[in-house]
Amino acid sequence: MSKNKKPKVLAIASPGGHWIQLNKICNPLEDRFDLTYVTPGSEYASAVKNSRKVLNVTDASADSKLKLIPLAFQLLWIFIKERPTAIISTGAAPGAIAFLLAKFLPIKTIWVDSIANVSQISRSGRMVMKHADKVITQWEPLSDGEKVVYKGSIL
Amino acid sequence: MIFVAVGTQFSFNRLIEYMDDWAAEHDESVIAQISDGSYTPKNMEWERFLNGEQYNKNIKEASVFVSHAGMGNIISAREQQTPIIVMNRQFKLGEHRNDHQADGLKWMGKLDGVYTASTQEELNQHLSHIEKLQLKNTNSTVGNQNLTDYIADFINDDLTK
Repeated sequence: MSKNKKPKVLAIASPGGHWIQLNKICNPLEDRFDLTYVTPGSEYASAVKNSRKVLNVTDASADSKLKLIPLAFQLLWIFIKERPTAIISTGAAPGAIAFLLAKFLPIKTIWVDSIANVSQISRSGRMVMKHADKVITQWEPLSDGEKVVYKGSIL
Repeated sequence: MIFVAVGTQFSFNRLIEYMDDWAAEHDESVIAQISDGSYTPKNMEWERFLNGEQYNKNIKEASVFVSHAGMGNIISAREQQTPIIVMNRQFKLGEHRNDHQADGLKWMGKLDGVYTASTQEELNQHLSHIEKLQLKNTNSTVGNQNLTDYIADFINDDLTK
């Protein structure tokens, strides 16, 4: 890799609020990193057009476990092709699956829990808690200063 | 001016009717974006959809932005430095696929410059003192900047992994 190449970063989120938050966090990182967005929301791939690289994956949730298998293969394929330095996710299930796979690869994982989770870390956030390299909450009271940190929020 | 918007995904007749009722009794100009709602306002200027530029301009110029409880509009309100009143869609009234907007009011209500209403009375209550609705922290993009910088530093830090 040449010295002046920006590190590759994958940004993964489910459609809706997770996706909005991911963009709010990652769009400002685009001048520092080579960002590739990953989402099950096919509507975003066309909407964002040429300016942003958006890859689509199968939608899956904790309630549709069978779909987790094709999702896992798609994510692995993306990891092999893109070779990211880091992955950022705001949730939910697809991000969590990506983190579990990345655990076995030299990829840093950064979980930013959704701002909607005020009183406890989200279900998917708790799932990746032990595996993520960094877990960030957007609500100060949920931070423990070690494993879960608070560094501001999108709002 | 008050700007009302229900997003592009679904209609939200109830909120539009409440605001039309309010507009009938107040001498304040109200502009509404109503999506594909079947109720068409009689006392407000309205459009089904607006382009992004006009949409943000309306939010910026409004004294208060009245919206469905969607995260996108809360972010836009903050970016345009306009206080926002959000009302949740209700699943049982067929206004959304589930009740996540009702849960949303709990966290949204903790944010600076965000006011929540789940009934017409609560909505009218907020509208009865528009001048008191405000964003306290006018430098409110700092939190997002800190968060983004922290993440960038963490990625660039070679000590982990």
